[in-house]
This record gives sequence, structure tokens and C-alpha cells, in this order.
Amino acid sequence: MTDALRLERVSFAYGDVTALAEVSFALGPGERAALLGRNGAGKSTLVRLVTGLRRPAAGSIWVEDWDTRDRPPEQLARRVGSMFQYADQQLFARTVRDDVSFGPRALGFAAPEVQQRVGRALAALGLEAHAAHHPYDLPPAFRKLAALAGALALEPRLLVLDEPTAGLDRALRARVASALLERAAAGAALLVVTHDLAFAAETLERALVLDRGRLACDEPLAGLLAAPPRLEPLGLAPPAVAALSRALGLPGAPVREADAARALARVAAGRRAPLD
Amino acid sequence: MTRLSLEHVSFWYPATDTPALADVSLEVAGGEVVALVGAVGAGASTLLLVAADLAPRVVGGRLEGAVDFRGRGNGEGGRGIVLPTPWTQVSGMAFTVWDEVAFGPANLGWPREQITRHVDRALARLDIAALRAREPATLSGGELQRVIIAGILAMDPALVLFDEPTAELDPAGARMLWRLVRSLAAEGKAVIVATSDLDALPDVADRVVWLEQGRAKKIGPPALLAEDALCAAGLGTAVAVVWRAGGLPRPYPLTVDDAVRLWRHR
Repeated sequence: MTDALRLERVSFAYGDVTALAEVSFALGPGERAALLGRNGAGKSTLVRLVTGLRRPAAGSIWVEDWDTRDRPPEQLARRVGSMFQYADQQLFARTVRDDVSFGPRALGFAAPEVQQRVGRALAALGLEAHAAHHPYDLPPAFRKLAALAGALALEPRLLVLDEPTAGLDRALRARVASALLERAAAGAALLVVTHDLAFAAETLERALVLDRGRLACDEPLAGLLAAPPRLEPLGLAPPAVAALSRALGLPGAPVREADAARALARVAAGRRAPLD
Repeated sequence: MTRLSLEHVSFWYPATDTPALADVSLEVAGGEVVALVGAVGAGASTLLLVAADLAPRVVGGRLEGAVDFRGRGNGEGGRGIVLPTPWTQVSGMAFTVWDEVAFGPANLGWPREQITRHVDRALARLDIAALRAREPATLSGGELQRVIIAGILAMDPALVLFDEPTAELDPAGARMLWRLVRSLAAEGKAVIVATSDLDALPDVADRVVWLEQGRAKKIGPPALLAEDALCAAGLGTAVAVVWRAGGLPRPYPLTVDDAVRLWRHR
């Protein structure tokens, strides 16, 4: 099967400052990957390369069978939906609905198809009530969701998101999680830059960790989150649920809230007794 | 002594009928860290704008009730606010990080020597001295957030207001920020912080204000974040939320350490 995304020894520098050095990995359809690492590790640079806003200095990036070097960003948008860190900068229309419609319209879909996609994207994020609002009348958190809805409405094969949950409350983070899981279940690959490891634990399955521009780690996310000594040198810290599981010795070292709650209930009911 | 007092404050944004803040009363003194928690739209950011004297003075709208602030008289009344969107808070007038951080102090008309001292100290506190010659436009999101915070602290405000200050920071950066918040309070500054990083608050906040639809629903110690009602509202710490979801009895633990203690004594 064709990979949704494949990086082959990708390097990039801003002047003398190396941002990415020989990064290689591939994502299959429906795969859900977290792109993690310190501030300045190269995560946002990688997003710019994958979305075609920058070109790799060396190496190549493939979106399915397209070499991104041959495709301008507007063409890549047929396959790659993206949301940038500064989501405000992505919004320009007078209403949330118009903004979300822009992508599918620009891809040339007929009006009814545009309407359906926009409806699905707004519904996935629970934004229907804000569809007629001006984006800048909304709190920053909702502007972020509006930008995400714009990416979802493209119904792309690859979603590349930079910090989609920064500044969101628990309920909105859950909306983002369920919308992303729905897209992944429909076959879209996810590449999500995030510092929010609690959100990552709930939503994503694979950890790609950048450290000073190099891919320092590529493995299942749950295992990595359950191993604090390995997180520290990568500039990461275990989310509270993983820390709780570890402190109580919960069976299976769950990192998701629902799994931890189940394990806790089982142990409390006396079926297993760690720590004793 | 620094003190901010809000008495029965309500605030309406321009052209809106529903108040963004409704009858909020709150006192914050120097040395204190008060955290505002609530769902998006509950009024935390608005409360910060009111506390910063930006709403209605700059934002427009209408305010009822009384807002009183006493600072040490530094700068523009001695209040500084860090917005949740650092990229909207860059001066756009500086070609280096050092100049960006100096922008506020310079506009306060301070003598050069005082500006230099405050800028250098702020850069050191945010651990960004190494970025001093960088152009702000080339920074990563987390780096820029630190620069903006440094620029506010360089003005030495008596009241510091933070809106989602860790949103762009990595875990090490977030830890640094929360330590910084405590050290600002230890210096006698009053700090109000709106945050969705609930798990950080037990170690950081002296008091927590639960906002819902513009109202201060409850004000109390961080232990509030383990109460059933806050957990139900999505405002419990992760540990409390897991405990509750697991059907274990109250009281729910607030932190991992509390959970371990409870677990051992069950």
C-alpha cells in the first residue's frame, strides 16, 4: 500500500541554523502520529516542509505518489490539510462558514459537495452554532477550531496539525480528539505537532520525537509515555494520567483517562492489588 | 501594597446583550497567585482585560461595578498582561529580541541604564539570553512566547496578568513558567493567571476562581479542582477526573502524591 507520507533523509536549515537533519519516516493511511519535541526542535519546520511552504534543502518528501518538490502548496492541498500554530493567520473570511468553505471551493468542488463537506466539518467540531459568526468575534480557542474545520473540510488523505489544542478547554480538546479519530478511521493519516501529551495519549498512537532537528525516537506513544526516564532527556514530561498509573502500579500502565479509570476500578474492587 | 479589587463587576463587549462578566467580586493582593479556570468563553480572558484596564478603555464595551487598583506606580499604572496569542503582542518595531524586550521599558521613558538592567534580568529569567540578537520573526512559537513575557516583566509591573501562558511552551518551558509565576509572587507582585493547565495549579495557585458564563461560581484553594462539581464541569485535575471516572469514593485526590497517600490508606 502507498504511504500517505514519506520523508527520505530530509534536511533543512535557516541560514546557518540547522532545523532538520536527515529525518526519515513514513505514515500509512489511517495512522495517527504525534510529532513531539522541545521548542525549536524542528517540529513546525517539518510541518512547513510537508505542506510545501518550504522545500527541503536535501532529501525528499512524498505525499502518496507526489514528490512535494514538484507540487506547489495549492496543489498539495488536494491531499494535505493543515492547521498552523498561529491559526488566527489562517482565517480571512467574514463568517466561519465562508472560511471553512474556502478550501473545498478552491479545490473546484460543486456547490452541493462544498456545502456537505462544510456541514460535516462544522458538525465534527460542534461549530454549527458559530457558523454565521465573524471569526474574530470568537474567542481564540474557537478561531482555532474554525481553522481546523477548514482543514477537515478538505477531507484530505493527510492532516498535518500544529498545536491543535493549545488554549482549548477539556470539552473542546475532546471535540478535536473525536473529530481526528473519525478522520483517521476514514483512512486519513494524522501528523500532529503537540506539547499536550495528555491529548496525544487520548488520540494518537505513534510517537515521532525530534531532538535538535534529528528524529530521536519513533515508537508506540503509550510505551514512551509510560517511561518517564526516557521522556526527560527529550524535553518531555509524562502526562498526569501516565504518572498516576506508574505511581499506583496500575496493570497495563494505562495512559488514557478511561483506561486508567477502568484499571483503577478493577484494582479497587480487589481483583489485583499493586503497591501492597 | 499592591491590590486589585473588583466589586460587582459586569462587562459587556460592544454590540452584545449578554455580559461576558456578570457581578464578579474579587480581591487580589501582592504576593498572591490567583488562577482563573473555566470553559472557553466563561469570562477568564475578559476578567484579565478588565483587570489590565484594557476593557472597556481599549476594547470598548460597557462596565458596571467598581475596579480599583493600587500598584507601586511603576510604568503605566503598574499592570502588565500577557495575551494568549504572542504573535499579536510583538511590537513589530524591533529587529532583535533585546530591542523587542526593551520596547515597553523604553516607552515608559526610563533612563537607559534602568532599561538595560531590567531587560537583561527579564531575558535571564525567561532563559532566553542566548536569543538576544535574534530577529523576533525567526523565533519558534515557544521562543516568541518567552520573549513577550520577558517584555512584560521588563516593565516591572506590580500586577501581572497571564492568559494561557504555557500554550506555546514545551514541558520544560511550562515548568519554568510556573516557577517564574511563584517567584513573581514571592517578590510581592500580584499574579492572576487564566489557564487550562489544571494539573499545574496545585503547586502554583493560592486561590482558584471557577468562572462559568461570566460569573465567579466558586472561589477557594486549589483543592477545589478535586471537587465533584468541578470535575463534572471538566475542570478537575486529571488525577481527580480519573478517580471519579473509576467510581472511587470521595474525596478525590488532587495530585498524584495525594492519590498514592489515599491508595495506601484505603
